[in-house]
Amino acid sequence: MLAIFKREFSMYFKTASGYIAFAIFAFLSGYIFVSQYASGKVNIASEITNLRSFFVVLIPIVTMGLFSEDKKRGTEVLYYTTPTNIASVVIGKFLSAMALFGIMFINVLVQMFITVCSGGVIDAGTMGAIVVYFFLTALFVALGLFASAVTDSQIIAAIFSFLIILLIQLTSTISALISSTFNSFLSAKVFNIDPEKLSEFCSNVEKFINWFDPLSKTKDFRYGVFSISPLFYCACIAGLFLFLTYQVLEKKRWTQS
Amino acid sequence: MIEINNLVKRYGNTRAVNGISFTVNDGEVLGFLGPNGAGKSTTMNIITGYLSSTSGSVLVDGHDILEDPVAAKKNIGYLPELPPLYFDMTVREYLNFVCDLKKVPSSERKAQINKILSMVHITDYADRLIGNLSKGYKQRVGMAQAMVGDPKILILDEPTVGLDPTQIQEIRKLIRALAQNHTIIFSSHILSEVQEVCDRVVIINNGKVAAVQPISDLSKKLSGYTRLLLSFSGPIKDVSNALRSIPGITSVTERVSNVDIHEVEISIDSSTDVRSSIFYTMVRGNWPILELRSLDPTLEELFLSITSGKQGGK
Repeated sequence: MLAIFKREFSMYFKTASGYIAFAIFAFLSGYIFVSQYASGKVNIASEITNLRSFFVVLIPIVTMGLFSEDKKRGTEVLYYTTPTNIASVVIGKFLSAMALFGIMFINVLVQMFITVCSGGVIDAGTMGAIVVYFFLTALFVALGLFASAVTDSQIIAAIFSFLIILLIQLTSTISALISSTFNSFLSAKVFNIDPEKLSEFCSNVEKFINWFDPLSKTKDFRYGVFSISPLFYCACIAGLFLFLTYQVLEKKRWTQS
Repeated sequence: MIEINNLVKRYGNTRAVNGISFTVNDGEVLGFLGPNGAGKSTTMNIITGYLSSTSGSVLVDGHDILEDPVAAKKNIGYLPELPPLYFDMTVREYLNFVCDLKKVPSSERKAQINKILSMVHITDYADRLIGNLSKGYKQRVGMAQAMVGDPKILILDEPTVGLDPTQIQEIRKLIRALAQNHTIIFSSHILSEVQEVCDRVVIINNGKVAAVQPISDLSKKLSGYTRLLLSFSGPIKDVSNALRSIPGITSVTERVSNVDIHEVEISIDSSTDVRSSIFYTMVRGNWPILELRSLDPTLEELFLSITSGKQGGK
């Protein structure tokens, strides 16, 4: 596991992908921080929450090549034919991507330092936002890793993870849209439904879809409200995708020619 | 050292490997011979644990590759047809990485890598990026990778494909050197290469074992299958007729002709040496011989001879 971690992590900085991801993150976080600083209202929790929207670009850049490149170059043979456990390969690659996001986060730590030096406050909300940032990163990296394992094309892996992350980030919008569509369709007189019951039904549909949304689940952290269950949920989904990645790789032994 | 029992690999309705069984003895160099698509690479991939078989078993030094993969894989060094190289690493970084994967103790690592580098003659290239090396050197790095961890068994899938003649000779020399203290399975579709390097040969065709025999038996079989190439100056029809009348010659086929130089392929009965008769016949007709040499049998001809003759089979 450590061998895979070391190799993948060092490759981020031998190829362009690590630098590109770092540069995008540094630019965006810097831009948001400077804007806040100039207006005199620095809110690191809000900055971190905003930065999460760029996962849709950053996660595919970081994860797209993790397995697809091995498949394309034939280097995956090494994982299957040496006394290495495939699970440790999956974990090693996952941790390397997490470490890169950790390195990128140094930008925010520097900004926190500047904030404190300038008389600002780092409150529980900021700590909550940081905790959520890493749990969500784990979830999305696991998802990107899975996308990379199912194809030997980096581009397809990137598009796949981009679409799923976009879908997750838009869950609350989509659920509201579905709920209002139901409402306007079923309120037609033909169906003769009690408007109160209908509105309750539509609200339940919206709640049901939002239940799966990791962003809604964790939104209170930035206000300093901590709870275990949203973090547990993120960890479970990340674990699920890591397990699926492992299964995809194991299955290849039986199906590939 | 390796026992393969009734191995079957099915893809949908196609059987890429169909009931292959053979054993590889300790310290042996086993040639794995077959045309492209015969199932060589699939069999090797199953032996090394890269693929799983549909049925059948592979025992490596007593360990089943599916049930006890870690113990089995510790004994195997594998060079697939496409060497598994990271082009963005230097040779030394890459071999260190493979040492990590093969769990080579860090105290032995440096000495082992230096020894392997010198064995495959790439010490001078140790700090170069693999992506910048020529194909021959990449193949050597692939060999080096297989040797890491000092496995008892080396499985080499067509290690000389795409190399120039000098590189091919070097790789063969290296395999012969490694054969002194390793068990080697070596696949190829070049007959002469297998004859040169191996002790015993398994010939497979259409996913089945066509023959398993010591290399000396194969050489006998090959010597019984003889063709000559004759290049001469003279009238093609007259020469062909004259040659056909020599006892022992079974057929004469025209290969290349231009105005006054012709080339014919002569198939002969293995029991007679007709070369002197051909010489005197040509002298009598006053047709100068420009070239006379024996032609190596092709793999297809060997298969025909094995599968049509009663000597085929295990």
